[in-house]
Amino acid sequence: MAKPLKDIIRDDPKKTLGVTPEDAKISKAYLSVAFITLLVGGLLGLVQGLERAGLLELPAWLNYYQVLTAHGILLILIFTAAFSIGYLYAGFSHTIGGLLPKVRKMAWAGFSLILVGVALVVATILMNEASVLYTFYPPLAASPVFYIGLVFVVLGIWSCALGVFINYHHWRKNHRGEVTPLFAFFTMGVFILWFFGSLGVTIEVLTLIPWSMGWKETINVMVSRTLFWSFGHTLVNVWYIIATSAWYVTIPKIIGGKIFSDKLARVVVIMLVILNIPGGFHHQIIDPGISETVKFLHVFMSVSIAFPSLMTAFAMFAVFERAGRKKGGKGLFGWFTKLPWGDVRFLAPMVAMIAFIPGGAGGLINTSNQMNQVIHNTMWVVGHFHITVGVTAVLTFFGICYWLVPYISKRQLTPQMNKLGIIQTIVWTVGMILMSGSQHMVGLLGDPRRTSYTTYGDHETALGWIPYEYVMAFGATLLLLGIIIQVYAVFNMMFLATKGESEFPIGEVEINAENTPLWTERWSLWIILLLMVVAMAYVVPIVDFVVNAPPGSPPIKTW
Amino acid sequence: MREAQEITPKNKENDKSLKGTFASVLVVAAIIVVMWAGVFLIYMDRV
Repeated sequence: MAKPLKDIIRDDPKKTLGVTPEDAKISKAYLSVAFITLLVGGLLGLVQGLERAGLLELPAWLNYYQVLTAHGILLILIFTAAFSIGYLYAGFSHTIGGLLPKVRKMAWAGFSLILVGVALVVATILMNEASVLYTFYPPLAASPVFYIGLVFVVLGIWSCALGVFINYHHWRKNHRGEVTPLFAFFTMGVFILWFFGSLGVTIEVLTLIPWSMGWKETINVMVSRTLFWSFGHTLVNVWYIIATSAWYVTIPKIIGGKIFSDKLARVVVIMLVILNIPGGFHHQIIDPGISETVKFLHVFMSVSIAFPSLMTAFAMFAVFERAGRKKGGKGLFGWFTKLPWGDVRFLAPMVAMIAFIPGGAGGLINTSNQMNQVIHNTMWVVGHFHITVGVTAVLTFFGICYWLVPYISKRQLTPQMNKLGIIQTIVWTVGMILMSGSQHMVGLLGDPRRTSYTTYGDHETALGWIPYEYVMAFGATLLLLGIIIQVYAVFNMMFLATKGESEFPIGEVEINAENTPLWTERWSLWIILLLMVVAMAYVVPIVDFVVNAPPGSPPIKTW
Repeated sequence: MREAQEITPKNKENDKSLKGTFASVLVVAAIIVVMWAGVFLIYMDRV
């Protein structure tokens, strides 16, 4: 017997109603901000690469460190945050049957707060009052307005996080005994980690404001750095979970396969949420004032993040192999050739996943105590960051656009646009191999990061770095070309492409798959475990930094 | 084409096989080990 309309609307409203126009507007607004930011940030990236290689001299009113700060803040804080919220809100709305009106208001409030924050941050960087690099920890001091701008950005993200928590709670109340749709589960994981991960940096920024205003003479640099990195590395993994949400949920549908295991995907999310925050300590592995015992604990904590990533590698290979074999793939690797390589919705995230193999391996090197001394503060770190964030996360984001933007805009992905997407993916991949590859190599030769062009008095070693820096600049040029194509593609699909319905691809589990257990939904328990892990990792060193505090630092402006 | 394939126990077994997945994760492991060992050797050479 057919279900009554009200039950259909309650259980699967998208089948009846399609995309909710009010929710689509939220995603379109966030994605527009994301891709305008990407264009500006990408241009600054090229300027920086050319200056670094000695191929471009900046005018007197603009310095390398201003460009570096703006490139970092715009791309890793604003572009990623705006894209993530636009994407997650679209998927969350789709899978739980639309957002609550008050949640929509919170998303718009978040949008306004982020825009105000960006305006304040960008204005201070342009006025050369905040060349403190994207990590902005002391003793470098920016104008207080810069930090106030950051507070607005964080409040905007919290507003969106709170909206998701409210809507999730509402859905659970009306669906007792059911597990949340997998995409919504990922969304919860992301926002919980984002919220708890940003508490440390919020405390840091709130202490930096009175210090930068001169109300407080000095600041404890060790505490500030530690609070920053508790957020810095967590943010990387927020992007990583967002990318994996597309890999686990949408890729199986796009390639005509099935989700390998719904339960495994949820366990990966839970592990990433619980284990992540102390991972930030490996950025401080060379810092003084932290005992070897504590460092050993943190190396272990950082390496533990690799386990869910290895589980993901296994699960994704299994999805590909089963889908490829169903299409007639034989032998050990015959299935690999049966995958839809001509579909940008698959190709872009697939390249992103492949990039995570050397990217993840590089991460294990960074977090290994002795080997960090080989690569610490060299261009290797920049190369690592660009291959992990710039390919694994961002190329997945680009691939998502080719179905998400048509879906929210009620338009279609045309074969021409698919072809353009393939070209974009190739340009991006080649650009990143050249840029990130040469950064890794020259880093091993000792080339320092965060340094404008210099030959160190024509020292032989420094001159040996220059050919690699030329390759970096050429790679950066290709990457800007890739950004221009991507931005064109996004706005074309949003406003100009052929009208029509597009699907939000949601993978299904195998027919005989086990039911996902309800215990996976115990978010309060996962949060308690998260807090316990954070306490275990941070209480001893922070108490030590405060009790045996080094001399405080006054604000320093080096530019 | 899958539609054209006869559904035999052998084909069914082929569809479910994860031999390639096992080999692929070993390749991933090898890349991790080679990269890690490479940088470790540089470290040992420099200390």
